[in-house]
Amino acid sequence: MYKSIDEINERIRDGSVRVVSAEEMPDIVDELGVTGALREVDVVTTGTFGAMCSSGAFLNFGHPEIPIRMEKMWLNNVEAYAGVAAVDCYIGATQESTTRNAEYGGAHVIEDLISGKSVELHARAKGTDCYPRTSITNEFTIGELNQAIMVNPRNSYQSYNAAVNMSDRAIKTYMGYLLPSHRNITYSGAGCLSPLPNDPTLSVIGSGTPIFIGGANGVVVGEGTQSSPGSGFGTLMTSGNMKDMSPDFIRAATMTGYGVTMYVGVGIPIPLLNEEIVKHTAVRDEDLKTSIVDYGTPFRDRPVIREVTYAELKSGSVEIDGEEVRCSPLSSYKKAREVAAELKSRIENGSFTMALASRPIDSQKRNKPMAEKGYVYHVNEMMVSTFVTITGQESVKEAAKRLLKGETNHLPVIDAENRLIGIVTTYDVSKAFANDEQDMTVSEIMTKNVITIAPDAPVDFAARTLQQHNIGALVVIDASRHILGMLNSYDLGDLVGGRGRR
Amino acid sequence: MKLMVEFDSDGVQYPNIAAAILRSGVMVNVERALIDGDEGWALLDVDDRDAGKFIAALTRKGVSIRIQKDAVSHNRTDCVDCGLCISICQKQVFSFDENWQLVVESDRCVLCGRCATYCPQRALSIQK
Ligand code: SF4
Ligand code: SF4
Repeated sequence: MYKSIDEINERIRDGSVRVVSAEEMPDIVDELGVTGALREVDVVTTGTFGAMCSSGAFLNFGHPEIPIRMEKMWLNNVEAYAGVAAVDCYIGATQESTTRNAEYGGAHVIEDLISGKSVELHARAKGTDCYPRTSITNEFTIGELNQAIMVNPRNSYQSYNAAVNMSDRAIKTYMGYLLPSHRNITYSGAGCLSPLPNDPTLSVIGSGTPIFIGGANGVVVGEGTQSSPGSGFGTLMTSGNMKDMSPDFIRAATMTGYGVTMYVGVGIPIPLLNEEIVKHTAVRDEDLKTSIVDYGTPFRDRPVIREVTYAELKSGSVEIDGEEVRCSPLSSYKKAREVAAELKSRIENGSFTMALASRPIDSQKRNKPMAEKGYVYHVNEMMVSTFVTITGQESVKEAAKRLLKGETNHLPVIDAENRLIGIVTTYDVSKAFANDEQDMTVSEIMTKNVITIAPDAPVDFAARTLQQHNIGALVVIDASRHILGMLNSYDLGDLVGGRGRR
Repeated sequence: MKLMVEFDSDGVQYPNIAAAILRSGVMVNVERALIDGDEGWALLDVDDRDAGKFIAALTRKGVSIRIQKDAVSHNRTDCVDCGLCISICQKQVFSFDENWQLVVESDRCVLCGRCATYCPQRALSIQK
């Protein structure tokens, strides 16, 4: 059995269409079977509401009386890309304000416009014969724009890694605040309610598929940037008229310590045309797997800690190394349901009809990483492998001698098995002498929380770590805390300055 | 319940909390505290049934006591019920109800402030 898109649209027009949400589908298919479900249901609605950094909007301001070809422009002090003709721009969601940093950015400009607030435009130009003006400052609202078209280059991730932090320091990421030593897990996506998991082979969704976006009736442009459906990480490029959007479904956000992002509500209706499509929409959270990866490492290929299903993630706690770790989303499931429900009511009241995609999206495509052409230096190439150490039981006086002899400012402290347990610096030792404490033991004055680095870390990361902690050297250790060398900031100096020359 | 106890320059001279524990025989948990030479504060957790007795024992010159209620305030309009705060807070102040709407149980809060800093919608604030 199969159904045509025209039949479904006919039912939408006469009000007899039967729409269910993707959450309800598995039970319906269990009860009625695939053929029965195809007979009974016409459209399955999906929804997601999460942080989509890759978002923005094209705006057209119209020409002022003395025309200007805007070359640089700011909206509420957030720079927009003006290299698109004379009075157009693309405001990107993650661009931060020049005055308020990450507390206000492109996403906030977009949300303010959608909320009807007035926004200040400031633009500069060099001036030409046909566009003589060199600057303009003006207030405008969305109603005064000719067009405000949201375009999200990458949206509706099929699935996304869950994040954990295995390192011993808290980190601030686009996945939220990750506590040290795997004390929390964050994840994104609505699981079985998300659009792409309901059409993983992209047999229905393609260029031209009508969607709900941010409150507007929009469209799938086509394949999203970085799309990798062949490995389960497909994305879509989407678009919609911002003038029809609502702050209920578009929200600017700031991931503290990371930057600005935008929460976008997207819902895609899946018309049930044949049994294959029905089977895909019967997906449950138990069937949808993703990986929990360690964001505590600075590499692109972050270690996978374990596989996990969306059912486990949604349960609120996941086991890692025999411990129950609290786990919470950063996308909103409640809002995702509101998106699916709103889409359902639009279809039922006849204001949203179905269409077949005009061009398919390659469902086998896999994403490629960047092939860096320049040479990337690693810590083990820059560290010094001759270094002096001391044990905790030795005296501060001995530490002073060792520092002098080694001509160094940093003295790693080791235990009987040669493992790193602390560090003393010339500052610590001088302080002890000044306080008449030279007979104390090293372990009494050492810093226990040593900032370390792995030998295979890129030096750029090492430089950032040195800067963040405002220290002069890092101890390079292996996984069992044996010291391999020392990385001094003065050794990095010229490298960080003149990369590529050695 | 949680008690926010503030000490002025007189209050910090004397071991007020220790004395109140001894005098009342009530056990309390010091959840957070910051005390220096001139002033200080401590957030105490005390069993509801013993609170009256303990407060009476702690009431002295230089000590002011306030029952800490609504430590976190939650702006429903700004919140999108993402749930990020749930796993960030180690005191389990936040959870979802069966409709995935955020529930805030403020009485467990120890005012660390982390949720307010990291809520992506800036929908939380901490009473000080
Ligand atoms: S993190 Fe903020 S927006 Fe998200 S659920 Fe908590 S209070 Fe609401
Ligand atoms: S202030 Fe700290 S303890 Fe209180 S709710 Fe926020 S994260 Fe939890």
